[in-house]
Amino acid sequence: MKGRDQHIHLLAGAFAMDALPPAERARFERHLAGCDDCAQEVAGLHETTARLAAATAIAPPTAMKQRVLAAAAAARQRPPAAGPVPAAGWRRLGRPGWPGRLVTAAAAAVVLVLAGIAVIFGVRNGSMHDQLSRAQDSSSQMAAVLTARDATMMTGTVRGGGVVTVVASHSRDALVFSATGLSALPASSSYELWLVGPAGARPAGMLPAARHHMTGPVVASGLRPGDHLALTAEPASGASRPTAPMMLDLVL
Amino acid sequence: MARGDAAAFDLLYDQVADSVFGIARRVVRDPAQSEEVTQEVLLELWRDASKFDHERGSATAWVTMLAHRRAVDRVRSAQRESERERRTATSDVPYDEVAEAVESSLEHERVRRCLGSLTELQRETVNLAYYSGYTYGQVASLLGVPPGTVKTRMRDALIRLRDCLGVAG
Repeated sequence: MKGRDQHIHLLAGAFAMDALPPAERARFERHLAGCDDCAQEVAGLHETTARLAAATAIAPPTAMKQRVLAAAAAARQRPPAAGPVPAAGWRRLGRPGWPGRLVTAAAAAVVLVLAGIAVIFGVRNGSMHDQLSRAQDSSSQMAAVLTARDATMMTGTVRGGGVVTVVASHSRDALVFSATGLSALPASSSYELWLVGPAGARPAGMLPAARHHMTGPVVASGLRPGDHLALTAEPASGASRPTAPMMLDLVL
Repeated sequence: MARGDAAAFDLLYDQVADSVFGIARRVVRDPAQSEEVTQEVLLELWRDASKFDHERGSATAWVTMLAHRRAVDRVRSAQRESERERRTATSDVPYDEVAEAVESSLEHERVRRCLGSLTELQRETVNLAYYSGYTYGQVASLLGVPPGTVKTRMRDALIRLRDCLGVAG
């Protein structure tokens, strides 16, 4: 029995590369269910094949996005399987086995899982560059906002082009901001976020340059009840109060 | 569909579509079929987001695993088999074929360098199995190596890549 286990264990590489024929795949999956060491090794090998896949990244035709979003709008999401649904909680960037945090409403969990996947992807891709340390600093804060019980997600359209997605949590006094399709600015300018309350606009951070038409995600803290979120194009060094027309007004 | 879900999916699309399409295109080759596979995977992601289990690995690994499986399923369908056999028989697959990707990213360079650190046999098993969708049995006959050897080389190759790429695990 032991010799047989040893033998089947050697299939971990072929399994992780989807190189097993169906019958052997099924047999290996049964073996995995009862072998923690094997499951752990396979998880590490799947993280590795994910890197092999990432190296081939190539933009799909632009029309595909509309088709997929339209099909998703028409399709029903499958409810979570029985048992608690792990929310997208994590402690450290890019490592498996983050501690979970239960979110009561299943629908909320789905949103958070989707958003969490998106954020992990964004942060991990960004981490290839010098944003690494900053991304790591903000990732736990991002996770806290996305998994907060009062997290709400909203979208807005930017005058001048682009769509923003915001997840705000008043219990965390912070929001996670990301945008797609923002118009490119000259090198001397950058987008700046503002939190606008009764006392006026407070700077909430400069946005990094877009990558693949995607800006962020970034965390803006210091959120107060009743704030609006605004966006302007400012000198790249940043401004302490808005000097250009507001391109977005989102009630948080 | 709740509005928040739709917004989250929109965001997710932008983050994962390039990787999903990249690996589908690499394995399936045919542009139209690669697009179909990509759409299937993204919709599966949408329908089954609740199945994602963070205990079993990162979201990145989960999404690319789904994408690779669907691509491999597609390429193994019977009607394409004969065409594929011919193509592979007439041309070797060089390991830097990853250069098909439009962008020469840092990640791309890193993976290329790590693939270069493998033995030739290890590298060929990765190219044929992961990037071309062959089973280990097919890889064995294509390379003229016993199946048992191919199995162990596949595992050795991924372990070496894992260490070279600095993957935790």
